Amino acid sequence: MSLIECRQLTKKYTRGDNEIIPLDELDLSIEAGAFLALMGPSGSGKTTLLNLIAGIDRPTAGELRVEGTDIARLSRSKLARWRSTHIGYIFQLYHLVPVLTAYENVELPLLIQPISRKERHARVAQALELAGIADRHDHYPRQLSGGQEQRVAIARSLVTDPPILLADEPTGDLDRASSKAILELLLRLNTELGKTLIIVTHDPTTTHYAKETLHLEKGRLVSEAPPALAAEVKSAGDGRGERDA
Amino acid sequence: MRDLFRLFPLVRKQIVRQPLRSGLTLSGVAVAMFLFCAVEAMRAGVEQATRVTADDTVLVVYRENRYCPFTSRLPQYYGDRIEALPGVLSAVPMKIEVSNCRASLDVVTFRGVPEAAFLEHFVPGFTFVEGSVDDWRNHGGAALVGEALAIRRGVHAGDQLDAAGITVKVAGIIRSTEPQDENVAYTHLSFLQEVSQRGGTGGEVTQFQVKVDDPQKLEAIAQSIDAEFARDSDPTSTRPEKAFVAAAAGDVLEIVRFASWLGWGALAAVFALVANAIVLAVRDRVREHAILETVGFVPRQIGTLIVMEGTILGLLGGIVGAIGALILTQQRFSIGMEGLSIEIASDPSVVLSGLLLSVALGLGAGLVPALRASRRPIATSFRAV
Repeated sequence: MSLIECRQLTKKYTRGDNEIIPLDELDLSIEAGAFLALMGPSGSGKTTLLNLIAGIDRPTAGELRVEGTDIARLSRSKLARWRSTHIGYIFQLYHLVPVLTAYENVELPLLIQPISRKERHARVAQALELAGIADRHDHYPRQLSGGQEQRVAIARSLVTDPPILLADEPTGDLDRASSKAILELLLRLNTELGKTLIIVTHDPTTTHYAKETLHLEKGRLVSEAPPALAAEVKSAGDGRGERDA
Repeated sequence: MRDLFRLFPLVRKQIVRQPLRSGLTLSGVAVAMFLFCAVEAMRAGVEQATRVTADDTVLVVYRENRYCPFTSRLPQYYGDRIEALPGVLSAVPMKIEVSNCRASLDVVTFRGVPEAAFLEHFVPGFTFVEGSVDDWRNHGGAALVGEALAIRRGVHAGDQLDAAGITVKVAGIIRSTEPQDENVAYTHLSFLQEVSQRGGTGGEVTQFQVKVDDPQKLEAIAQSIDAEFARDSDPTSTRPEKAFVAAAAGDVLEIVRFASWLGWGALAAVFALVANAIVLAVRDRVREHAILETVGFVPRQIGTLIVMEGTILGLLGGIVGAIGALILTQQRFSIGMEGLSIEIASDPSVVLSGLLLSVALGLGAGLVPALRASRRPIATSFRAV
């Protein structure tokens, strides 16, 4: 059985008189250990799919199983508890709590876990170390660069040791050098720690780190990238030496 | 309960690390609670001074149709006739001089009483904080000063107290369970009669304090006293002591009753203030709450965070306000009118009720925002920012 299975997954909502269908009867299976890049134009349903897998949003129809659990049937509270141990979510805009230090932001998911303070400290330290931001543990988000903030966000997503990491345009707000560093970090989490990684991205460079790239358009998977995107990917691929260097 | 302990550090950081927002909310609560406690202290003082109880045995005989010690003049010999009436245990003649006949926060009241009656009926109820009754007996111009008045005027045994054109030597500071005793200076009757002859002569007193043998007969004896002097040149008006205070302080009572509405208004202001602060904070933190739920906080825990923050701000503000009110009442202010005093009492129950109310208000003010925040779907919260 696949780690994530979507069957006829549909999400609809209405805005005014219009019915919007971000996801339309999507069938998808994702195996454990995958590094999947989801690409597609704005409004194609990428983030909606990510939110459904994370249990942040609920499908209108269809089935969604993660590690065999039909998460659409879980109550909101059960879903939150499930998410805390199964999913690490990385946002484009980092979404750190501004009044907390890097350490405290990473510690957040553990505050509600039944573990000792000592273990909590050890786990936070390990996550900060893994994300390469341990030296900034006492900095507030406003004192960090975008790349550093994203590293803290990644550490926060890792701290409960979830099997699945979901990243919604994690490099969308970063410069080229920071983007490269973050993508390399994510790749390491996939290859060394075996995390299943699903990244929503507009950045064609990401596809060269991912093991698989899927394209979404109007809420459905399309077999090939649209011509304009394919050209972008090719051009980005020509400069991949950066990653290999 | 476990949630409270787990979440408390997070709430503490939210409060401490946003000092401007927290400080403004807290100071608003503190000012309102200060007003509430101060007004309630005043109301408690009035209640204590005017509440008639079933075992009251003291009547006050005043000149009929007179309302101020300056104008109430009764012959001292009335005392013998009052004491001769059935049911009367004693009638102590009392000369009263005040620094100000109108309502004021700093009235000095001198009460001149005969030495023998004073020693028999008053001194046993006193505790001497400083000095002694012997010092008072041995000095004709001496006074025993109530503790509240002594604190307010900053005098000690051996000092001189000047007020209303009268100078006395402070022979002792007394503490009493009777609010009136706390705010007066007791002198020898003859001394006060001599130094305060404003158009009158010795042998005149302001009132008689009459003790009766049966509380049940209080009203009947009051009527018999007034009947006794109805045809004399100086007819009397006799009332139970607490009723006398309530009648003399009628205007003040109205003001205090009105002020007590202001106190409740202050509480309503606290509620609106805390609720507004929390609503704004919750609106600012829509995304933050969505993040918390994304990392595993259940909606109940998010609601608890919001309610805890409101409650803690309410409690802290309440403590600051109550401390302010306590400091104020430690100055032993009293409202004086027509020679009577109503102390603004530092009653612990007033402070406690203020604290409980501020906690309840903080909690109540946080409930609706907490409920709304915990019900808002995460995806909607992320889209909202």
